[in-house]
Amino acid sequence: MDLFFHYLTMDYLLKGIFLTLEITVIGLVGGFAIGIVLAAMLLSRHRWISVVARTYTVIFRGTPLILQMVFVYDALPHMGIMLSALLAGGVALALNEAPFIAEILRSGIRGVDRGQSAAGQALGMSSFVLMRRIIAPQAIRTMIPAFGNEGVNALKNSSLASFISVQELTLRSTQLASSTFDFFSVFFASGLLYLMLTGGVSAIQLFAERALDLDRPRDKGKILKYLLPWRKDPEEALPSKPATAEGAALSELLVTPTREDRIARLAELAKGPIAVEIQDLTKSYGERQIFGDLNLQVHTGEIVALLGPSGSGKSTLLRCINRLETWNSGDVFIGGHRIGYSSGGLVLSPSEVARQRVEVGVGMLFQHFNLFAHLTAEENIAGPLRWVHGWSQEAAAQRAQELLDRVGLGDRGDTLPRHLSGGQQQRVAIARAIAPGAKVLLLDEPTSALDPEMVGEVLDVIRRLAIEEKLTMIISTHQLRFAEEVADRVIFLTDGNIVEDGPAYEVLSQPRNPLTARFIRVMSSGQTSALAL
Amino acid sequence: MSPFFPKSQRRLLSAALFASLLPALPLTAHAADLASSEACQALQAKYPQFKGKTLVNALNPHTPGYEALDPKDPSKYIGLDIDLAESLGSCLGFKVTYKPVAFAALLPTLQSGQADLVISDIYATKERAKAADFITYSKVFDGVLVAKGNPKNITGINLSLCGTTAAENTGFVEVPLIQNLEPECKAAGKPAPQLQLYDNNASCIQAILAGRADTYINDVNTVDQAVKAYPDKLSKATAVTLPYHIGIGVSKKNPELRDAIVLALTEIQKTGLQLELMKKWGLDQGAIEAPTIISSDE
Repeated sequence: MDLFFHYLTMDYLLKGIFLTLEITVIGLVGGFAIGIVLAAMLLSRHRWISVVARTYTVIFRGTPLILQMVFVYDALPHMGIMLSALLAGGVALALNEAPFIAEILRSGIRGVDRGQSAAGQALGMSSFVLMRRIIAPQAIRTMIPAFGNEGVNALKNSSLASFISVQELTLRSTQLASSTFDFFSVFFASGLLYLMLTGGVSAIQLFAERALDLDRPRDKGKILKYLLPWRKDPEEALPSKPATAEGAALSELLVTPTREDRIARLAELAKGPIAVEIQDLTKSYGERQIFGDLNLQVHTGEIVALLGPSGSGKSTLLRCINRLETWNSGDVFIGGHRIGYSSGGLVLSPSEVARQRVEVGVGMLFQHFNLFAHLTAEENIAGPLRWVHGWSQEAAAQRAQELLDRVGLGDRGDTLPRHLSGGQQQRVAIARAIAPGAKVLLLDEPTSALDPEMVGEVLDVIRRLAIEEKLTMIISTHQLRFAEEVADRVIFLTDGNIVEDGPAYEVLSQPRNPLTARFIRVMSSGQTSALAL
Repeated sequence: MSPFFPKSQRRLLSAALFASLLPALPLTAHAADLASSEACQALQAKYPQFKGKTLVNALNPHTPGYEALDPKDPSKYIGLDIDLAESLGSCLGFKVTYKPVAFAALLPTLQSGQADLVISDIYATKERAKAADFITYSKVFDGVLVAKGNPKNITGINLSLCGTTAAENTGFVEVPLIQNLEPECKAAGKPAPQLQLYDNNASCIQAILAGRADTYINDVNTVDQAVKAYPDKLSKATAVTLPYHIGIGVSKKNPELRDAIVLALTEIQKTGLQLELMKKWGLDQGAIEAPTIISSDE
């Protein structure tokens, strides 16, 4: 095997490695640059842009790399573009890698739970902040193995540049074999060199996977600080202090108001300004109409319970109010601002709508909590304060801690959402939603995804919020007793129509509409056990 | 030594190292003479546009003797075509760099402007002359490379090829010649010859060594080199004379370069340098012929 080692250490072949690496690097860096643009185009809201990107993808993913290399090398000069062989090989490889990388990026981005995007938008994040802080850090983790594959592929594919006279490892090996007639020693040596290169790529991949593993105890590294700015050891979901641990006991706050008190409170609220107003809202999905000319007014400080069977449009209505959903016609105003439109009447872009949510102070709570999975409880609250509201590190951390204390999770700030129970997660989500000082809070079935034993802790927090924060709240819920206790007003929605709208004490005890009556009957019989608070 | 690496290869390697060392000195002397010769000085004055330039020679460096890596210093190419290119360069005052490409890519590389010259043991056929102008410098003699002992009794490009498998490089002139045997073989009641197409000599030789192909018909020098490398496994069945010439390819857009090369080559032949170079590389001496232009306007 002495000739084998002679070739393995031969300067001539080792120099070929540099060219192999150069093409690979040009191919991957260029492929990334084009791939990011392509992925953005593929995900674009504008159809023609995604069609252009799709066409490119079909062509460059669907033709052999060797033809693309020969094209760039031999055909472009006829059009007046003369690239060096190395550059031609690198450019062809980049053009070929781009669609593959774009698809990895696209699937990585789409793989991030859509609920987190909705939560980010509801918190007022612009598209850029959402991508940078929420989607990208999570997508990157899932994409690393696929990028490892692409790295290895690009390295091996660079050997095709031997067809366009780039003196990389493969071309050097074949020429050397021709001149020495020593085929096997030469090819074994160059095969081993390739194996060392691809082994290096695999090592980088494994290192990156390990470094970005959220559950790994870690030393703080500079580069990774962006992806993991907080981070201590993971903890199991421990039972935490009850939400009422600090401040006045809930029982003291919740003196069940008398009917007279309630009538007085409603009358008082009715004198106040209107917080949310919906005018002639019409929305349909294709043929199916969701809302037809829906109208609703909610006064500042009012707590409205939105009841109705599944599919009646409760969630959609809430998502229209903060424009997570668009509609066909009609208007939504929050604090006098026409949501989704500029003062000049122009339709706002998603980022501008996000800004508007911040200005009018509307927050949202989701059925599935939608906490940012890669951020700790504290960072879920503090992050948006810094990124959206421009708070300082200290102020945001302090506010987060204060709110975590209030929802009884003061000692769980460093915990990742996946290590918290559902009830704990929803309590963090509540803290996150009110952190920036929201004036209007939309709660979309906040307890329906929870195990029965956790419903109570979340409802307690919401009750306290109602009493202490004086927020305007619109809550879609199936929890009748909770609605009765907390809500000033109950609205009953069926097939996108408000069929009943009145004081909570009236609607729930003496519904006028037969549909409402039946719903209340069914729900109360099914819920007695679950509602044992 | 594993059975993969026969001793013959080691011997060949060291032999090649010595061979490449020996003739280096006299050639350099000749090149200097050439550059300062009256005829070459006159040519440089007549064609000043090439003086001091660096021209790119596209080649398929898999043909030891004509062009291949120097096994001793793989950063260099050596062979008759390399010496010829350097001699033309000294006479006309240009430097030469080399661009290795697949055989079938030689003329496309020239056409796309990525190379100025093709001096790569390429046969100047009428077909190829549609893509480039050629200046001939040697006659063609082909050899028939077969497994040791010629088990299929192949005697040339004739009916003995019927039912056998030939390895050839894409774009080789032998390819259509072998394909054209099909009707003759059919008429004789025999199966047609099969073709395997590769990219370089090494692959064709490997095809015979691996038992995938029965023969490889190519320039007799290439065949001799292969037999020298594998004396226990390969032999040369016979030599075939083909009605072709080996030529230097030049872009059709560059007739002045073509004319300058004709004149410089004439001078190189007149001084006896080409004969000397062919001897140095052990190529057939009788093959030299005066330069002619092969061109086609189609």
